[in-house]
Amino acid sequence: MDTYLQITTVVGVYVAGVVFVAGMGWRIYQWATTPKSPVRLGMFPKPKTRGGRIMKMLKDTLIAPHSARIEPRMWLFAMMFHVAALAAFVGHLRLIQEYPVLPSLLGAEGMNAFAGWAGGIAGTLMMVAVLYWIARRTFGPFKQLSVPEDYLLLVLLLGVIIMGNHMRFIGHVHATDYREWFQSLLAFKPVIPDSIRFSNVGWSLGTHMLFVNALLIYFPFSKLVHTIGSFSANLVRSE
Amino acid sequence: MDSQQITTLTGVLDKKMNRQLKQYLDICARCAICKDACHQYVATGDFTYLPARRAELIRQIYKKYFTKAGEFVPALYEARDPDENLLDELYESTYACTGCRRCMYYCPFSIDTAWILSVAKAILIAAGRGNEMLGQLADASLFKSDNFEMFRDVIVSGFKDIEAELKELTGDPSAEIPVDKQGADILYVALAGAHSILPAAAIFHEAGASWTLSMFESANYGFFLGDVEKARKIADRFMDEAVRLGVKEVVITECGHAYRVANIFHEAWSGTKHPFKVRHILEVIDEYIKDGRLKVSRCIDVPVSYHDPCQVGRNGGIFEQPRDIVRALATDFRDMTPNREQQWCCGGGGGIVAISEMDAFRLKSGKKKVEQIKATGAKIVASPCENCRLQMEGLNETEDLGVRIAAIMDLVMECMDLPGRKQAAEGA
Repeated sequence: MDTYLQITTVVGVYVAGVVFVAGMGWRIYQWATTPKSPVRLGMFPKPKTRGGRIMKMLKDTLIAPHSARIEPRMWLFAMMFHVAALAAFVGHLRLIQEYPVLPSLLGAEGMNAFAGWAGGIAGTLMMVAVLYWIARRTFGPFKQLSVPEDYLLLVLLLGVIIMGNHMRFIGHVHATDYREWFQSLLAFKPVIPDSIRFSNVGWSLGTHMLFVNALLIYFPFSKLVHTIGSFSANLVRSE
Repeated sequence: MDSQQITTLTGVLDKKMNRQLKQYLDICARCAICKDACHQYVATGDFTYLPARRAELIRQIYKKYFTKAGEFVPALYEARDPDENLLDELYESTYACTGCRRCMYYCPFSIDTAWILSVAKAILIAAGRGNEMLGQLADASLFKSDNFEMFRDVIVSGFKDIEAELKELTGDPSAEIPVDKQGADILYVALAGAHSILPAAAIFHEAGASWTLSMFESANYGFFLGDVEKARKIADRFMDEAVRLGVKEVVITECGHAYRVANIFHEAWSGTKHPFKVRHILEVIDEYIKDGRLKVSRCIDVPVSYHDPCQVGRNGGIFEQPRDIVRALATDFRDMTPNREQQWCCGGGGGIVAISEMDAFRLKSGKKKVEQIKATGAKIVASPCENCRLQMEGLNETEDLGVRIAAIMDLVMECMDLPGRKQAAEGA
């Protein structure tokens, strides 16, 4: 158990962090240093001002109104996943620093309860969306179009989410203890608190992080770079 | 396929690489939202024509030869060599694509599949698999400009015949079709054949425009073939003419791809800045009507619909002018659903009308357009693109739509007060 946690929640996190940051940096560097096409690839109607183009790009990227029109169900699940993932990401920021205002308003108990149901909803929505995506790739043209990368990413995501949900729904460990672990990583003096090690979710944290690390390591070399690329690609639409 | 050939083909991809292409190849999530955007996929259900699949073939080569991950774990991305099988499918899906970019419209990342396929065409050409018919047509265009002195007299005498018709039609013996007129305001670039010259000439004459007719047609088979060098040279023919004559604007006839080539591609291809404006003839006609320079009556009382050619609408930005013109001519204008930037491609773009082996497929791919036309109940469908009209005429015949497919200029001419035509009608 200790060795497993040592690998996935300490060493693995550092490795994944380095690979992710370097990999994304490399990806962005590659994009930035490849010359742009001299041909304007925009389509009409397009905004006339630069501000208008940027607003349209943000709308197209964050809301994808055109995709909503052609395949509403897929759009719904995709929005569900992305919004929930954003919420989960914001929630995880508590691991770095407790929120400034909220805990004093809700109290320690209230804050944990809030995090409990908010995180629970986000985790459930993400899980449903990923299951939908997996199901969608099992038949017809979606299956034909899929490559192993698609399934690998979905499995990694599912692993991250299921183990996260497991900690959320089964465990009684709250943010304070996880924060102690995560801040110790940030300070390069890694400690796995006993409250986690000897809890019923120690192994789930380990497995959660196993999937997270694998996902982060693969991230820069996968189609997930659309998290950044979709902004610039959608901007090209108005050029 | 030997390694030498593979190096050649990946070399083409390397040479054509740019930021947009790289991003498109990196970020596609294969979500297949584009599937229902493509008229060809919707009509056939054939995986080959699913937009993301067409792009995926280039992505497979890209992953293997341009990314470390694909080089080490090709199976993960189904990365592979540009082998014969890949090229066979690529030929089919690439030359079938009409370049309508409807998939780009619906893509959450706005991935321009047609742009990826323009690279696919370059790869096919390098593999000796460029479409032969399009290649021959492109070469014929270049042969004409390279040996222009040989053709000049024939062309000019053809114009004179049309000029005689124009004199009769307008009842004005001084009406002319000017050629090589230095300092004219407009260089009008038509298509081969009187049908795109006579109506424009009548309209320019009526509006009192200062214009001159280009010696060259606007159609650009180099563009359809996917050979940028040839495409540029073909467009250079009239662009150079425009510079030489010192015109204020180049006006492209009712043709989709030629407008986009002239308006959007040519400057980028040639690395020059045009010393003139480029406009579509419909922008000019709309302006004439609104300024009162061109008098038309609302002479059409059957329902009229309008089809946005992809290269004029979504890819060219002209949506309202043709509708305004049709509304000025017809009492009952009925738009198709969806329309404008969401308009379905008719299935005739991208040079596919010239590829006879794809004829049956092309007509089948017009399924959505047929449904749209039927739903309007229109008796006339107007569209300012030769390829759209050819396709819709084909659909009209095979599907028994019973509509008339018309150029907008033809409708304009019918609603103009032309003494010659009146005499002809009275005489008959």
